[in-house]
Amino acid sequence: MQNTIGYILNIDGENTDLNELLQHRSVSTLPFGGRYRLLDFTMSNLVNSGVNHIGVVGSYKYSSLIDHLGTGKEWSLSRKTQNLSILAGASGVRYGDNIKVSVRDLFYNIPFLSKGSNVKDVIICSPNLVTSFDFSTAHRIHRTNNADITMIFKKVHPDFNANDNDVFVEFEKFRVSKLYHQTGETAEHVFADMMIIKRDVLIDLVKKANELGEWDLMDVIHDNMDTLRVFGAPHTGYLSRVNDMKRFFEANMDLLNYDVMNELFMGENPVYTKIKDNHPTHYSNDAEVTKSIVGSGCQIQAKIKNSVLFRDSIIGNGTDIDSCIIMQKANIGDNVTLKYVIMDKDCHIRDNTSLIGTKENPIIISKGRSI
Amino acid sequence: MNTECVAMLLAGGQGSRLKALTLNNAKPAVLFGGKYRIIDFPLSNCMNSGINVVGVLTQYRPYILNNYISDGSAWALDKVNAGVRILPPYMSQKGGRWYNGTADAITQNIDFIDQFNPEYVLILSGDHIYKMDYSKMIDFHKERAADLTIAVMDVPWEEASRFGVVCTNSEQRITEFQEKPAEPKSNQASMGIYVFSWPVLRKALIEDAENPDSENDFGNNVIPAIHSEGKRIFAYNFNGYWRDVGTIQSYYDANMDLLDDACEFDLNDTSFRIFSNNTSRHPQFVGETGKVTDSLICDGCVIFGEVDHSIISHDITIGKNTVIKNSIIHTGAQIEDGAHLENCIVGSKGVVSADTKIAAMDSDNPSEIHVING
Repeated sequence: MQNTIGYILNIDGENTDLNELLQHRSVSTLPFGGRYRLLDFTMSNLVNSGVNHIGVVGSYKYSSLIDHLGTGKEWSLSRKTQNLSILAGASGVRYGDNIKVSVRDLFYNIPFLSKGSNVKDVIICSPNLVTSFDFSTAHRIHRTNNADITMIFKKVHPDFNANDNDVFVEFEKFRVSKLYHQTGETAEHVFADMMIIKRDVLIDLVKKANELGEWDLMDVIHDNMDTLRVFGAPHTGYLSRVNDMKRFFEANMDLLNYDVMNELFMGENPVYTKIKDNHPTHYSNDAEVTKSIVGSGCQIQAKIKNSVLFRDSIIGNGTDIDSCIIMQKANIGDNVTLKYVIMDKDCHIRDNTSLIGTKENPIIISKGRSI
Repeated sequence: MNTECVAMLLAGGQGSRLKALTLNNAKPAVLFGGKYRIIDFPLSNCMNSGINVVGVLTQYRPYILNNYISDGSAWALDKVNAGVRILPPYMSQKGGRWYNGTADAITQNIDFIDQFNPEYVLILSGDHIYKMDYSKMIDFHKERAADLTIAVMDVPWEEASRFGVVCTNSEQRITEFQEKPAEPKSNQASMGIYVFSWPVLRKALIEDAENPDSENDFGNNVIPAIHSEGKRIFAYNFNGYWRDVGTIQSYYDANMDLLDDACEFDLNDTSFRIFSNNTSRHPQFVGETGKVTDSLICDGCVIFGEVDHSIISHDITIGKNTVIKNSIIHTGAQIEDGAHLENCIVGSKGVVSADTKIAAMDSDNPSEIHVING
């Protein structure tokens, strides 16, 4: 996909219940799955699809993003032919989380979007998609249809639990005819927060929308549906769009299903992430770990099941951890009981502590806390 | 370009006593402790000692090693006008030939070292497991105004005859060398780590190359020649953990030391880390039927069986109803359902087919280590 550039959106996520985990980061760099940040999936999907130039819009809490992406080396993006740009968002603009594709950010980044005389298309995607997706089929559909925009959608299960952030797509003779939020009708096709758009069309739309004071490119597309050629391309694999705590927890737990793990990580396309130098994880004689994901550099003496344990955590003796997400560098003492706990980085739990949440209301422990 | 100290790492050896582990792979690139390769130890030591120029002399089966060293960024050796250089034998107007002995490998690369105009050259080998701050040894060398400093460590007297030992005076100046002596006069064994003042070494190498009777070896030729000239040679005492992993047994034992809480060698110690060239892999997955005790497990593993007192490297799948005990499994190996392994080393990408049983009780010698080719 030589003629395509990637544009990854920023989600501050402060108006969602993820907020407790977002004090020092935006949704992009929310730790996920034992060693990743959410953004790794989108970055890797673009790179694995052959997109050579990627721009990532940063949050005002940018240090975590910059620290994670660095020069883009881990994604092979620090080469003369492949590169990564960390883009500034439009200054001073705080927008609600129901704005999916910020017109202001795009307008501010027109110079980035205009780079490269042979660029034809831009892939716009969210940073919070847990999925393994190859854009090449969608791109072929896009070119074959001579589409202005090709929206990636996923057919959802009838009991799919939609939230405010979900946009659904309706088709008429294979063309997208309508974009709408769930209103109780049968919502069949959810927008996967990934689209391919002709660069010239994008820049044109953004300029017009900015003039009109529009905030969300989705609204602009919706309003111009009759003049734009908007098509859909299906995504058939696993997809979780993490935009609230429930989905964050569920997506982590989904990894404990080996089929999901296998699809996301063990296929042809690796998920790249920032590399750390950790010692292998040490399981002691008393360790009992089942159905769990464990990062490197941990020292485990405890019972752990149905949990996701990140890198460099130390878990004491006689401790029992069930259905938890324990992020990097946790230090959990002896005889601790944790159930349904989501614990951010660098937390310390003293001996004999017991914290028991429920599936619906897991206990959230924010970064660096000591309990 | 002036660099105080250039390190030269001898990494060309085959390590034939490691048998199957070095069939396709030079000894320094053999895996250790799950995620590491033996060369990580000298390279990380260089990094932790502030040494920025490392020449790696390669000869035997270099592909895995070259690929692994790559641009040296894993050890912070991707510095401008410095860094790691892989130095294979090469052709010149006078022809070309293989490296013939440890000293010859350096002699053939005198021009490489001259580029950096160093005061000191540190000679390292790629087959030892240890952590050492070489800068302290270089400081020792400077304080003594030495021409050559040799790192030594005390070994048990009964083992001294297996090593090259040195006798020293009260100022640690070396008075005598004994190579694998039947009756050792000292238990200070050479570790094969040398700091030379470059002008002294340069001259000695040229003289050695002109001597047709020389085997072009540091221990047997160059160092005795420097000693006979009355140069100042000192012994630098090292007290930490150090293992030669040249045989299957010593390789196995040093790996198992990592599982021994009583062992002083701690790779979790972040103040002196051992770095390695890591790639992105998924975290380890322990399935419902998996059970892991007293073991080290690396990223990319999927475990459905029972693992006890073992070291499991990257990207290994361990099937259901398997038992892995007292074993070392190298990257990419596949242990199929129902296999039972004890005291085994499974080479990279080795496949142990379903229901295979290799266990101590089946052997005449219960502590024998079985090596399964990768």
